[in-house]
Amino acid sequence: MLLQLKNIFKWVNTGGQRIFLLKDINLEVEEGEFISIMGPSGSGKSTLLNVIGMLDTFDEGEYHFLDESVHTLKEKYRSNLYKEYIGFVFQSYHLLDDLTVAENLEMPLLYKKVKGSERKALVADILDRFNIVGKKDLFPSQLSGGQQQLVGVARALIASPKLILADEPTGNLNSQQSEEIMELFKKLNKENGVTIIQVTHSEKNAAYGSRIINLLDGRKV
Amino acid sequence: MLRNYLKIAFRNVWKNKVFSLINILGLSVGLSAAFVIGAMVFYDLSFDKFHPDGDRIYRVTTAFKSPDGNFYNAGVTVPLAQALKDLKMEELETVAPFFTAYPIHVENPETESRFKDPEFVIYTDGAYFRVFDYNWLVGDKNTALEEPNTVVLSENRAKKYFPGQQMSEVLGKSVVYNDSIHAVISGVVANFKDRTDIVFEEFISLKTAATQDMTNVVNEASWSNTSSASQLFVKLSEKAGPTKVQETLTQIAKEHDEPEMVAIGRSNTYNIQPLADIHLNQDYGTFDFNDSRTTMATLNSLLLLAGILVLLGCINFINLNTAQAIQRAKEIGIRKTLGSSRTQLIFQFLGETFLLTLAAALLSMLLAKWLLHLFVDFIPEGLNFELFYNPWVIVGIVLLLLMVTLLSGFYPALVLSKYKPVSVFKQQVVPNSDKGTLRKYLTVFQFVIAQVFIIATLLVGKQLNYIMKKDMGFKTEAIAYFRTPWQDTSSVKRARFVREMENIPGLSQTVLSGNPPASFTTMSMGVLFMDGEKEVNSDLQLLYGNADFFDLYNLNLLAGRLPLNDSIREFVVNRSYLKFLGMDDPEKIVGKSIKSGGEEIPIVGVMDDFNQHSLKYGVSPMAFTGGSYSGKYTQFKTIHFKFKSMDTGNWSSTLAKIEEIWKNTYPEADFEYRFMDDTIKSFYESEQKTAILLKWATGLAIFISCLGLLGLVIYTTERRTKEIGVRKILGATVFQLNLLLSKEFLKLVLIAFLIAAPVAWYGLSYWLEGFANKTALSWWIFALSGVAMILIALLIIAIKTVGSANADPVKSLRTE
Repeated sequence: MLLQLKNIFKWVNTGGQRIFLLKDINLEVEEGEFISIMGPSGSGKSTLLNVIGMLDTFDEGEYHFLDESVHTLKEKYRSNLYKEYIGFVFQSYHLLDDLTVAENLEMPLLYKKVKGSERKALVADILDRFNIVGKKDLFPSQLSGGQQQLVGVARALIASPKLILADEPTGNLNSQQSEEIMELFKKLNKENGVTIIQVTHSEKNAAYGSRIINLLDGRKV
Repeated sequence: MLRNYLKIAFRNVWKNKVFSLINILGLSVGLSAAFVIGAMVFYDLSFDKFHPDGDRIYRVTTAFKSPDGNFYNAGVTVPLAQALKDLKMEELETVAPFFTAYPIHVENPETESRFKDPEFVIYTDGAYFRVFDYNWLVGDKNTALEEPNTVVLSENRAKKYFPGQQMSEVLGKSVVYNDSIHAVISGVVANFKDRTDIVFEEFISLKTAATQDMTNVVNEASWSNTSSASQLFVKLSEKAGPTKVQETLTQIAKEHDEPEMVAIGRSNTYNIQPLADIHLNQDYGTFDFNDSRTTMATLNSLLLLAGILVLLGCINFINLNTAQAIQRAKEIGIRKTLGSSRTQLIFQFLGETFLLTLAAALLSMLLAKWLLHLFVDFIPEGLNFELFYNPWVIVGIVLLLLMVTLLSGFYPALVLSKYKPVSVFKQQVVPNSDKGTLRKYLTVFQFVIAQVFIIATLLVGKQLNYIMKKDMGFKTEAIAYFRTPWQDTSSVKRARFVREMENIPGLSQTVLSGNPPASFTTMSMGVLFMDGEKEVNSDLQLLYGNADFFDLYNLNLLAGRLPLNDSIREFVVNRSYLKFLGMDDPEKIVGKSIKSGGEEIPIVGVMDDFNQHSLKYGVSPMAFTGGSYSGKYTQFKTIHFKFKSMDTGNWSSTLAKIEEIWKNTYPEADFEYRFMDDTIKSFYESEQKTAILLKWATGLAIFISCLGLLGLVIYTTERRTKEIGVRKILGATVFQLNLLLSKEFLKLVLIAFLIAAPVAWYGLSYWLEGFANKTALSWWIFALSGVAMILIALLIIAIKTVGSANADPVKSLRTE
């Protein structure tokens, strides 16, 4: 088992009232799964994804990732954990505008303290795999949305994570670009065994996954 | 990782060119001031650090206590050295007396070449060379000054007097001082290579002075006479502390105090002054009188100034970087999701700050070079750009840069690295949530500083103008004077000089007298006034002159008469002395007398007050008296003259005629005349320097603060582009928009004024306390500087807001 959420609650207090963002979420994810999280706006999809990605905290419940109990870990160990095992893909790509494609790809490796020569090899490798060698010296603003997201996925993959978390990865893309990205995910899942959890609005994209989780007002339905 | 940081730092700096430029410029101004001031401090603190056993070398000095305050003399009474030697204290390894001499000329008899006014000549003996360790090129340290009529030269002097000769050839040759004192060269020592105040170049054996003394001091072994020409260095034994020596000296001083002087509150003490203290202690001075000296107090205030300017630059940094933080929030979020820790981010941002600081430092190196050139009057001669290659200075600069980086980068780095990726991505850090309270405080702080400087500059200028324009109480226009050479005692020559000058048509009056009414030299004596039962002791300044002198300077006699002639000792006292005695009516004191040194001197008249020195000081009690009575020691050595017309065009030809007479009368000496007006101006040199320095400080403080303001205005205005567009579409005029945009900043400037005004008022009234004659601390100075600050700020604000307010709203809304 890759990760397990047990009775996760997350809430905020506004004006004396407690508003639940996540309510009693239980979830088990096996390695190699491809899960789509669906639900209307404000149902807690992104919050759940952020909790899984350890970017966000929760107020109650247990979270086990591999053999670690995330809820008992200190911030520093948590960041080591996700640095090691999780890659993120965002709706608005979130590439660093001031860095070239190659430099953006190199960034996660820098934070993992990978050696220089190895970094170069890994970057070259992934550029090759994603067919974007010709774009390596361009800045994000010089790329189309689809190309940017391609770089985003490549960046998420470069450190060979076990899990990829994608928050509406195709939300800003047209249908053709969407399809390419989703095909890419499928391929990664099938051929490389990467576990993928994506948040999506689209039934079509959700269909790529092996399992669909529906959320409504912070609850699994 | 580092390369990546540098890369992104550089790209960031480049992307925000305007802000980077503001940061770099502001910081470099502060840094260059810090570099120059730091170099000055380093320079002044690095004197005489190279002597082996330097911490054991002390100079013995004299402090005089009197009811009027303390006076200091770097010299000691002549017998003190012998007395110390006789005690054979184990704490004292060496006692080295020496006497400074000022020969008129020195001649190399072989080549018959003459050198006028050789400087830094002393009489001393072998002990001096046991205190200070010189490198002996030729000659023997122990015996060189054993015999009379021997001299040790410095390498520089030897090369000057015996050009082209080997040092070994120079040994045994001779020089002649003042045509009469022969001295055989018994040694040559290398000049000290490092910075030193021990500047002596020629060391004549002390035994020479027994018969041929140029100082008139060496053979006057009296405990009651202290001359700065007679000085004393001692070297303590190893491990001996200065306490015991100081106690002994205090004891000796007490033993030799004269009871009658002690009775009127006068005494003197000897102090031992560490070698390290000599350079910056103005009470005692150094040996090079041409060199203007700073004091520790000056250095401290300069350091404070540098600190303030650097701080202002750092504030710009903090303000602009926190203001821009929002724009970098996304980057921080991404970096954090990719695994960056907070520490790594903090280091990244500090790195960026360091990069900018480094750029500023490079720029300020250029500025510093220029500043050194610009402030040449303020900077000691030996200080040049070379100093920046000194390893200690480089270490200092690096430390300063690191400190500046921390100061200006740490807070922004802390703010930036705090962002949580989730909130960044959720757009929860909306630009308007940042209220910028700290930025407001810091901006107010900057403007308080700038405002205080403006007020101070105006007031110091006003005060300077006031004291320089104020009537001294005597005539100063078209009057000049010169001193006849002090070595020449011939009164016949002086009289002839005056007679010849009287024939020059351009002059209306020529008088031989003492010092001018106001000068740097003061003569005074302790006097006792007796009025029946009442006895009043005091100091009385003396002005030596005759009736013509009185007339030339337009002095005003209030009662009685002038002394009957030059050589009768009669006093005309001034009104301040009357006031001091508690008398009102000038007529009443006439006919009374003053006692001094057992002599009774009648008061024959009263004159009106005039200022004897800078108007910073009040008028001292003074007596006017004849001064040609004591023959060889006559006070009448200065010739005063008045030009006939105020037409300055003819003056130079008249002066040329006087110079001609001088050359015929005193061919050995240089002709140096001074106009009375210039003398008075020179009283205010230090105040004028303060004023100039203050102007610069003000300019720089305003410059840095305004750069910061400009940055903030650009930033906020750009953030409000959309608001401006909407308001404009709804009908706001350009003026209304400008008002809206400026209001926020003007409020800060106003608050700054409210804080600055009382601070400045307090500081300046303290400064004015130091002046006997002071200008009013008028309200308009504050009003004017407040208005000036607001106008400057408005101008800066307008640079950006006018453009924004005029911009086409459709465009701004579309790009939004």
